[in-house]
Amino acid sequence: MNDTDGPAGSTGPDGPDGPAGSTGPGQRELPVRTMSRRRLVLRRFLRHRGALLGLLLFTGTVLLAFTSIGFLGLPGWWGQPYQASGVVENGGRMTLHPFPSADLMPSFLDGDGMFVDPSTIRVGAHPFGQDDVGRDYFATTMRGAQISLTIALAVGAVSTLLGTAVGALAGYFRGWVEGTLMQVTDLFLAVPLLVVASVIGRVNDGGPLILALLLGLLTWMSMARLVRGEFLSLREKEFVEAARALGASSGRIIFRHILPNATGTIVVNATLTVALAILLETSVSYLGFGVQPPDTSLGKLISDNQNACLVRPWLFWWPGMFIVAIALSVNFIGDGLRDAFDPQQNRVRA
Amino acid sequence: MVVFVARRLIVSCFVLLAATAAMFTLVAHAGDPLADLRLSTAPNRADLIAHRSEILHLDQSVPQRYAAWLGHASGCLIPGRPCDLGRTVQGQDVATLLGQAIVSTLTLVTGALVLAILLGVGAGVISALRQRTGLDYAVTFSASLFFSLPVFWVAVLLKQFLAIEANDWYADPTVGPLAAAVLSALSGLFWGAVLGGDRARRWLIRFGAASVTFGLLEYLSVTGWFARPALGPGIIAACAFGIAVGVTALVAGPNRRGVLTSALGAATAGSLAQFLVTGSLQQPTWASFPTLLLLGLSAVGVAVLLGWLLGGPDRPAAIRAAVLTALLTGLVMVIDVMLRALPGYSRLVRGRIIATAGSQTPNLDGTFWQTQLDQLTHLVLPTLAIMLISYATYSRYSRASLLDALGQDYVRTARAKGLPERTVILRHALRNALIPVTTLAAVDFGVLIGGAVITEAVFARPGMGALFIQGLLPPLDPNPIMGFFGVVAVSVVVFNLLADIAYAYLDPRIRLG
Amino acid sequence: MAVPREKPGPRNGPGDGGAETLLSVQDLTVRFPTADGTVDAVRGLTYTLAAHEVLGIVGESGSGKSASSLAVLGLLPPTARVAGTVTFRGRDVLGMRSGERRSLRGRRIAMIFQDPLAALNPVHTVGDQLVEAVRAHQAVSRKAARARAADMLDLVGLPRPEGSLGAYPHELSGGMRQRVLIAMAVINEPDVIIADEPTTALDVTVQAQILDTLIAVKDAVAAAIVLITHDLGVIAGMADRVLVMYAGRAVETGGTARVFASPRMPYTVGLLGSVPTPDSAGGQLWPIPGAPPSLIDLPEGCPFSPRCPLAADRCRQEEPRLVPADGRGHHVACHRWAEVAGRDVSADLFRGLRPGPTGGPG
Repeated sequence: MNDTDGPAGSTGPDGPDGPAGSTGPGQRELPVRTMSRRRLVLRRFLRHRGALLGLLLFTGTVLLAFTSIGFLGLPGWWGQPYQASGVVENGGRMTLHPFPSADLMPSFLDGDGMFVDPSTIRVGAHPFGQDDVGRDYFATTMRGAQISLTIALAVGAVSTLLGTAVGALAGYFRGWVEGTLMQVTDLFLAVPLLVVASVIGRVNDGGPLILALLLGLLTWMSMARLVRGEFLSLREKEFVEAARALGASSGRIIFRHILPNATGTIVVNATLTVALAILLETSVSYLGFGVQPPDTSLGKLISDNQNACLVRPWLFWWPGMFIVAIALSVNFIGDGLRDAFDPQQNRVRA
Repeated sequence: MVVFVARRLIVSCFVLLAATAAMFTLVAHAGDPLADLRLSTAPNRADLIAHRSEILHLDQSVPQRYAAWLGHASGCLIPGRPCDLGRTVQGQDVATLLGQAIVSTLTLVTGALVLAILLGVGAGVISALRQRTGLDYAVTFSASLFFSLPVFWVAVLLKQFLAIEANDWYADPTVGPLAAAVLSALSGLFWGAVLGGDRARRWLIRFGAASVTFGLLEYLSVTGWFARPALGPGIIAACAFGIAVGVTALVAGPNRRGVLTSALGAATAGSLAQFLVTGSLQQPTWASFPTLLLLGLSAVGVAVLLGWLLGGPDRPAAIRAAVLTALLTGLVMVIDVMLRALPGYSRLVRGRIIATAGSQTPNLDGTFWQTQLDQLTHLVLPTLAIMLISYATYSRYSRASLLDALGQDYVRTARAKGLPERTVILRHALRNALIPVTTLAAVDFGVLIGGAVITEAVFARPGMGALFIQGLLPPLDPNPIMGFFGVVAVSVVVFNLLADIAYAYLDPRIRLG
Repeated sequence: MAVPREKPGPRNGPGDGGAETLLSVQDLTVRFPTADGTVDAVRGLTYTLAAHEVLGIVGESGSGKSASSLAVLGLLPPTARVAGTVTFRGRDVLGMRSGERRSLRGRRIAMIFQDPLAALNPVHTVGDQLVEAVRAHQAVSRKAARARAADMLDLVGLPRPEGSLGAYPHELSGGMRQRVLIAMAVINEPDVIIADEPTTALDVTVQAQILDTLIAVKDAVAAAIVLITHDLGVIAGMADRVLVMYAGRAVETGGTARVFASPRMPYTVGLLGSVPTPDSAGGQLWPIPGAPPSLIDLPEGCPFSPRCPLAADRCRQEEPRLVPADGRGHHVACHRWAEVAGRDVSADLFRGLRPGPTGGPG
């Protein structure tokens, strides 16, 4: 339906900063609206309600986790340390009361009258309660969220770099390079991720960052495949042909001409890798092969407290909710980015 | 085709070699198999260490051990050779352990896979066809949510909260008016969105579906059906005829007389046969798998005959529809018999019918059907936990894929030909949209295995995943890990091969060779 | 009023009136709400089609020619807003119930699409796709439908029609695929065939054969054709009447020979001047400067005015209506068509625009 495509359909890969659609000399400028690709993407992203919500939730979670108890020696605003055990007060119950107490049953129906009392909203000394040795569970959860977030972002970075490199080399050079690299990619894809991650986690005797590096070595394959696909099609494009004809080196073509046009794919997939990474790390930590004491992670917190969760369910709910909040918000951001970069594309990753 | 399979198998052999070698090396560095003995205070500590080192060949180098392991393990793939996967640290034979574990894990994974595909593809298709409706947003959001749920958290949630709630409910299985009203409202919304139509029609459907649901729930609740569930001949017959009409619509189209007649014939035969079948299946002497197999085969035989006789010009389609109707009607009968076994089973397990640990109740002294029911109730929660995440993948993928197909030119051509919308969607859009799902199923298998590892840990099911976890915990037990890994790697290779063949079969543009 | 130079067209059919009106489109509008604004794809299109006639609709991409024909068949995506009147043999089409409309599609009004590879379903054989077209409208056995399909493939000139029934679309060449689509369109002997750029996706060498096939098949089943194209050469060779579209509207319509010989709208003049013809061989081609306007915010007045060498202040304020020019069914939507009549060589009109980045439209 070429006839009905709006101007949005004309955002071809002209290079994000290339002179898109400029009229040649001798032709009159006509009132055709053009917008730079970057601004268009940003505008579409900001119109995406889910993506904005995800961004808000993610930023909020990150800020809460890193400012509350402090990070890397920097002090936080939450008074209690996450390591110190203490006296278990009131069975370790949550002191957080987030809602105003309210009664909506009018008095003529045997209620206490309709009222809303915001004064009952309070945080208390242990908003998330305490665990069985009296540690403040809010501080512990924040510590777990810090570690899990750090690992997820680091995994995202490592696998994005590795996947992009492998995909770019395979897609650009073709031939035996591509054959070998894709064979390796398929090899990595053939083994169930959690299984290898567990074994790798058991091999690791370093800290959480080493774990993130190792997990990053296991999650780059989908990025490599997508980037390769992108390179395979972009390398045949006219502007690459032109650059090659002008004698540009392979490195220059890859970094200056093709890579900027693959940004969309890379950014979207990197986001989704972060979401995958948080689930992977928490799962491995839950099984006991991920983050090791004295460090903790959201997955390890659930595994530590799962037997107490019938009596003290909040020990189970809070870390879980944080995992879901992080994964969900990152997924929403990724969906929004995908729609913003390529509104025509409906496919999801396999 | 043969060339393709042969070449793929050869490549797969190299993949397996590389993967197992890498894994073997990793596992060899993942921990100390002697960890517990080193801390032991037993007087014969040295002997124990020496013994374990001997059965695990710890005196040899890693490559030597790998070569030996490979030599023995390859026997498992070649018929007629002994299958030796080494011993555990306790000296048990890994192949024997795995043999028992495979069935348990495969049941779990296959069940979850089939359910996830059916529900996920179904939800994705409906949501694509009802794009930009409340239902579509609900499906899309739930897929995103499930996609972001950690399996272990869901599993613990189901085990610690849902199972207890469900069992408490079953102690006094009635549906109160409030619960019934909520469920009815949901059912009304659901059917209104699925069936669609203009505003008036939708409200009519919503109201109708909600009233029917409410009435049904209250009727079942008052009559104590939930405590003694059964379908009964009337419902079975109604299901059979409903299935016949549905299958016909799916296989051929509503106005193919021969196909409809055959399917209805099969439904009639099933409705009559149930008086013979459901009664005898409840007899202890008859209740067994061979009987079920025999009944299934005779049902297929009768259905083929009916389709052949009544099919008219559309004989192949008629036979297909009749066979499908017969088998599904048989399934309804089996469900009826199962439901009738529930009260007895409930007494045996003291009312806790949703099990949360293990793969069967130990020392259960029940009938054939009660034993089957027992295995099912142990499967419910783990299957649900694994399924949710795969469901999200399938529903997202099939929704996007169908939307993509619906925008294709050939769908427009099909409409331009004047085909009925049902044919356009089923034969043109859906057929093309679902071909890539075969590839997805192969990729998803690895995810399901990972899910099985976690759920087996949470629900204490003795399966391959449990063997793997047990092996990784100190003291490290390399052989069960490698055995598990070998089985998984081979299954992944086989699954991918099957998916490629299926893909080529479904899409004529792909030629294997 | 300039005297029209009358010249008998290549197939001057009964388009000038007299024959029964099959299809009538009155004031058709099609709008698509999008994230960036509402796209006015068709803005009040009016035309009629007589039996056995070939009507050519010509225009640049984005002029609304495909959207208008999809609207006639009811094949636009559900987001499209369609208004106006479409009647087929006096029956209102847009107001029909969906079942009624479906029995019209493929049976009375058939369509041929641009890209034959995309328009055929890749996973079904050619035979199956033809058979289902027959069985959608006629209660015949599969066998009979298959025989009919083979006959049709023979009619459109496919070698080994029986064998081709079992072929998948990707196994055929581009020209053969388009022949299959033509066979599919005429298999139910429709009254109207809408051909949407039937040759655009094909090799130049095959294009002429396909057009010949189309005409031969049309005569065999006695159908009328709405031929949508951007290729004036195709129109000249086939159409009895031509309708030129610009920015969702008809800007000029009339007998093909008359419009080609004496265009009265500067846009038509420009189109004719930008195609090589035997007359212009050796001479210079004069393209129309600029690009068609965005259909989201059209310029005030005549949508062609920013590109028009004759545009005056009135053209930028008031959109011209389609009015009779020269008589004999020749209509034009231009305030200054009388001036165009004086300068009928495109070079005259567009030559001055070529050199120099001059500012506003002159």
